[in-house]
Amino acid sequence: MGPSIGLIFFFYFIPVILTFLIAFTNMGRTLRWEFIGLQNFARLFGIGARDPLVPKVLLNTLLYTAGALPVTIIGGLLVSILSMRMHPKAGLFFRTLFFVPRALPPVVWGFLWAWSFEGTRYGLFNAIRTALGLPIIHWFIRHPMLIVILANGFLGVSLAMLVFSSAIATIPKDYTRAAEIDGATEWQVVRYVIIPLLKWPILTMTAWHLMSFLNSYVYIMLITGGGPYYATEVWSLYAYHAAFNSYRYGYGASLISLLVIVNVVLLFVVVRAFGMRRMLTKGKIEL
Amino acid sequence: MRTYRGLMRYLEGAVPYILMAIVSAPFLTMYIGFFLRAFGEGAVLGILPRKWGFSNFQFLWKPIAWGLGQTTMWTALGNTILFAVTSGIVVTVICMLAGYALSRVEFRGRNFYLVLQLVLHAVPGQILLIAVFFLLLYVGLLHRIPGVALARASLEIPLGIWMAKGFFDGIPWDVERSAMVDGCTRFQVWYKIFLPLVKPGIAAVFIWGFLFAWHDFIYVYTLLPGTIKVMSTLIQSLLATEVIDYGYLAALSLIYAVPPLALFVFLQRALLKVPVFGGKGIG
Repeated sequence: MGPSIGLIFFFYFIPVILTFLIAFTNMGRTLRWEFIGLQNFARLFGIGARDPLVPKVLLNTLLYTAGALPVTIIGGLLVSILSMRMHPKAGLFFRTLFFVPRALPPVVWGFLWAWSFEGTRYGLFNAIRTALGLPIIHWFIRHPMLIVILANGFLGVSLAMLVFSSAIATIPKDYTRAAEIDGATEWQVVRYVIIPLLKWPILTMTAWHLMSFLNSYVYIMLITGGGPYYATEVWSLYAYHAAFNSYRYGYGASLISLLVIVNVVLLFVVVRAFGMRRMLTKGKIEL
Repeated sequence: MRTYRGLMRYLEGAVPYILMAIVSAPFLTMYIGFFLRAFGEGAVLGILPRKWGFSNFQFLWKPIAWGLGQTTMWTALGNTILFAVTSGIVVTVICMLAGYALSRVEFRGRNFYLVLQLVLHAVPGQILLIAVFFLLLYVGLLHRIPGVALARASLEIPLGIWMAKGFFDGIPWDVERSAMVDGCTRFQVWYKIFLPLVKPGIAAVFIWGFLFAWHDFIYVYTLLPGTIKVMSTLIQSLLATEVIDYGYLAALSLIYAVPPLALFVFLQRALLKVPVFGGKGIG
């Protein structure tokens, strides 16, 4: 108990406070710093010397989250419903297949995507295209955001489909049977029986992944590095680059501070909507 | 008529398979392509290799050239193991102690503490890297594997505590009462009675901490100097070079990815053995 509080205090609370403190400094490459008040934030919001990249990064973040979230939820529903309607062994096979992204190290998952969509004939999909006599496509130049969305969306699918599958497994057979006897088609059973019963899991997963996508940057960093020409640079990745690539720690920290505030607000909304009790009784684990 | 209906039913049963095949086709292609690339040699016709062999696995016995220097796969693997084991041990010890306290001892702020753990998990550690960087710098643990492992471990502690609490919750109170009646102290109860009972739980929590540290890229990449390579940063730095040998990288990735995949299977078994999360678990 004691050590856990200590460690969490050390690596969670102090960092949050420190982030906010650094946000008000001009800490740079030399690690010397002084307080510069709100200059970083003024720059962010475009008052005075403005940062021309901020609107683009913000738009990217919204686009990316808005794209990856439906992929995760719809993909998760699709995989879980389809796999639960199959022969159990086949269902297990496909669930395992879609779970693999989460069991793979990020670097390997990133490598898989970077290589599959590589723009030369050495990339997997271009190699197939060449073998079929089709011209190669420069995937990363044509659709960088789409690739990033899919790569992250299907990471979300791994978790969402597990949660949805275990929820579907708890639905009593009587419900679907009764609907079938009343003459409902497969699609109607799914639409009017299964999906309404999955309301809570769907909501939890939406909230969870909303926050997860807003903050995620590691996979984007590994797959595109934010490029080409900032096409996939999202907020948190931009903050990372500001701090560790251009050594403007103060500016990076101010970007992160805003993100932390957004997180806390969102979290507050989620806790309000779901209720403390629910969170206590239904602790979910992330795999 | 009858055969027509039978055929329709048969077709209806096939619908999920067909849809699923369409959804999973790109992924299957990627995975299969990955394996073919790792074990294939020489010129590649489409994605099919001309020859099978292990030449892509030459890093097992040859040093890896990277930049102007060179390193070996074994150094990186050793660092990865050191990093992951340190992190795993830290997570296990702390979670087992805290999980027991939260499961058995009534104290003020217990519920608050439990919710706090969940809330903390929602603010992901990866965005706090800048501050963690300075924290480690000032404490003098930056650029050292144990220090970074400690920081990495703290990210998995919140959920690890929930896991550990779940294991302890599954043990009936009677066990503890009778031990205490027989004169055990709290710590003795924890050490002599509970730990042996939750062995699968300990394994699960350890693997939990181990796995995430093994997978970790961003902490190692940012907080360790470029000269200390672990598997993830090694693969990334090879991927970032001008000339990329995909077969070689695929083979290296395979070596790196197989242990965690095997552990995941084990973790799932261990989670199934212990009553966790009242059946809602998704392990």
